[in-house]
Amino acid sequence: MNAACWHCGEALPTGEQFSATVSGQSHPVCCIGCRAAAEWIDQLGLADYYRLRSEPALRPAASPNDAASWQHAELDRHLVRELDGGKQEAIMLIDGVRCAACVWLIERALGVVPGVESVQVNAVARRARVTWESARCSLANIIEALQRAGYRALPLDARAFADSRRAESRSALKRLIVAGFGAMQAMMFASALYFGVFDANDAGTRDLFRWFGLMVSSPVVLYSAQPFFAGAMRALRARRLAMDVPVALAIAIIYGASIFESLRGGHEVYFDSVSMFVFFLLLGRHLEMRARHRAGDLTDALAKLTPAYADRVAADGSIERISASALAGGDRVRIASGAVVPADGILLGNPCRVDESMLSGESAAVTKRAQDPLVAGSVVLSGPADMQVQRVGADTVLAAIVALVSRAQSERPRLALSGERAAARFVARVLALASLTAIGWSVVDPSRAFAATLAVLVVSCPCAFALAVPAALTRSLALLARQGVLVVHADAIENLAMATHAVFDKTGTLSEPKMEIHHVDARFAKNDALALAAALARNSHHPVARAIAQAAAGVPAAQVGQIEEVAGSGVRGTFAAHDLRLGHAAFALPAHAPEPSLADAVVLADETGVIAEFHMSEQERSGARAAISALACLGVSVEIASGDVEARVVAMARKLGVDHHHARQTPADKLDRLNALRANAACVIAVGDGINDAPVLAGADVAVAMGNGSDLAQASSDIVLSATDLTALPRAIALARETMTVLRRNQRWALAYNLLAIPFAALGFVPPWLAALGMSLSSLVVVLNATRIGRHAPAATGSQPHEAMA
Amino acid sequence: MNILLVLIPITVLLALGACIAFFWAVDHDQFDDLDTPKLLPLLDPPDDAKPEDPPA
Repeated sequence: MNAACWHCGEALPTGEQFSATVSGQSHPVCCIGCRAAAEWIDQLGLADYYRLRSEPALRPAASPNDAASWQHAELDRHLVRELDGGKQEAIMLIDGVRCAACVWLIERALGVVPGVESVQVNAVARRARVTWESARCSLANIIEALQRAGYRALPLDARAFADSRRAESRSALKRLIVAGFGAMQAMMFASALYFGVFDANDAGTRDLFRWFGLMVSSPVVLYSAQPFFAGAMRALRARRLAMDVPVALAIAIIYGASIFESLRGGHEVYFDSVSMFVFFLLLGRHLEMRARHRAGDLTDALAKLTPAYADRVAADGSIERISASALAGGDRVRIASGAVVPADGILLGNPCRVDESMLSGESAAVTKRAQDPLVAGSVVLSGPADMQVQRVGADTVLAAIVALVSRAQSERPRLALSGERAAARFVARVLALASLTAIGWSVVDPSRAFAATLAVLVVSCPCAFALAVPAALTRSLALLARQGVLVVHADAIENLAMATHAVFDKTGTLSEPKMEIHHVDARFAKNDALALAAALARNSHHPVARAIAQAAAGVPAAQVGQIEEVAGSGVRGTFAAHDLRLGHAAFALPAHAPEPSLADAVVLADETGVIAEFHMSEQERSGARAAISALACLGVSVEIASGDVEARVVAMARKLGVDHHHARQTPADKLDRLNALRANAACVIAVGDGINDAPVLAGADVAVAMGNGSDLAQASSDIVLSATDLTALPRAIALARETMTVLRRNQRWALAYNLLAIPFAALGFVPPWLAALGMSLSSLVVVLNATRIGRHAPAATGSQPHEAMA
Repeated sequence: MNILLVLIPITVLLALGACIAFFWAVDHDQFDDLDTPKLLPLLDPPDDAKPEDPPA
């Protein structure tokens, strides 16, 4: 239907048109904010951004005017680091960085701000590190420049300079490269030994090559392979057999045995195998870590939810702006309309309306009276409100939710039980075979016992585990990413394939907000009232306003002049000499006594009275019904657990044909419900989008977050659905099941190869070149087998077979 | 074959040097963002002089 906005890619509004002139051409845009951003980008000569980007931009705020609030010396002390030579540095979290072109644009746009020395943007971490001369520039200038280009910036406090993720990725990269160099060198020395360059009477040169092999593989084992040893120690201390245990065991045994063989001048050394093994395993882990870092970070998500500063009311009634971390219990703070509550506390003075949906999942705003508790992270809709601070920082309800998330995350058995069992079985088998060989040879010929046992260990370990699993997983991760399913933790595939239950959140996951028009005054037709409301609402970013604008799509627009947004209250404008107001009842009808029936409604009124009432309701998300029936086809039973009231949950469950549903669930209730299911040996997928879903997501076997959901939900999930269509989920389950089939086939194949090769190796019939050939061929078969995943559209996906084949 | 006694230590030294160079590069922000820098050179208009462009 409508064309999309040139800047942000959203549907253009009907009615009044905006256009931006970029590179001499006029392009349609959806709002004033987008026009300002696009034209400013053009003025800077940066219009190439539009040619180079791969994702549309974030829709900018209509009136970027809060940059000045960062202009406070008190805030600078927490957020800015002083450098030598009158320079300052800050790290900012930037919302709206979506592709490489954004990085280019931010670097150029900040580069033209006078006084800015250097800009470094990291698209993966969504952070910018900016250095400027304190005499010519300030933090507020920089934030303003970012806002004009359409990005929201949040300065992070001094702790951000010690970035744990960056440290993690750097040390992983170093280990990987040491393993790579070591493996290459070890391979070079080993091939000279394999091809028998030195005959038996040149033992001195042979030993020299072995010592060189030891020298280059020692850093690989002692430095690069440390994560495997640490992981194995952790697993053993917890009395589990995880995947790290056989890996660490194999590395240690092969390395130790090779040293022993070199010392006594034995038959074979395996320095090349052990370094290659470490290198390939590290490569797989490195790729997984990068996917995890892309999905966002818990601490960043928390930083975005709470404001960085607060307005403290001093004893004499004056207001000073301080960093939120400087707040203490007993302080009195003032919270403006539309601002976020900085700490937990109790409301003082006038009643106000508060949006707690991000914490409770309840879709309607709540009215708070004096002495009612306010929680950090909720939004004051009708302010200003005064609050007495009770709990700050780590003691707030919001911080408790985040703590719940990280606890559930650490308690979750990351590798599924079946994976653990497979690893345990495999270790047991290999050890049994090795000890059998050792015992057998000790009886027959003790001098060959050690070499044969070692051959068994070498032939078995690397092939079976190093390639069979990662090859299949990598293939299916790539396929899923193409369908808009971003897998953060690779082992989620395994759980996804075994899933028996799916627990859905309602608000924002199964449903989308929808505006319904009720009670239209006799003076107006329904469509006229809708057109007036839409004309008022179109430029506002409030969710209610956007829902009204959406409801009015297709209705001819009305011409309303002098539109003015009153923060926290509503929108006003003039139409045919009438003063039109759209907002909650107290704002729209200032002269009337408040009517209780209008408490939750959005009212459109003029001086003479109500024109129309709007009520929020919900509609199902596109594809929700298809997704739920497809899940049922796959044998997954579906439940709804929502924080919303009973009636709305029941209505939605009926509409979608879901039998099991639970209303009024707190995050802790949901987690209990999940644990009850899991106690009955169910494997549970949790699907959610809100902050209140985060603990549930973290505690589930597979956590699926909606791509447009909160950062906290995404940071605690295994899988992010960037496609808004829920049917991607059943398709992903079908693909995961296929992956596991191929993976098991791969493992069986590797095992069969081992069973065939081990006896010959144990009997000493396998010359080194044949062992090398056999290993490469078996690896090749495993990789080729993995590429077959997704070739045939699995019949079980059902809903859109032609899409899967494309 | 005595030449090996010279060549092999040289390869080992080269590998060591490469590792040191790589560690230096990792510690100097060269590998923190692997996705964007590859595109940045393509984005500069070829005939547009940019004297104050900060080096990446």
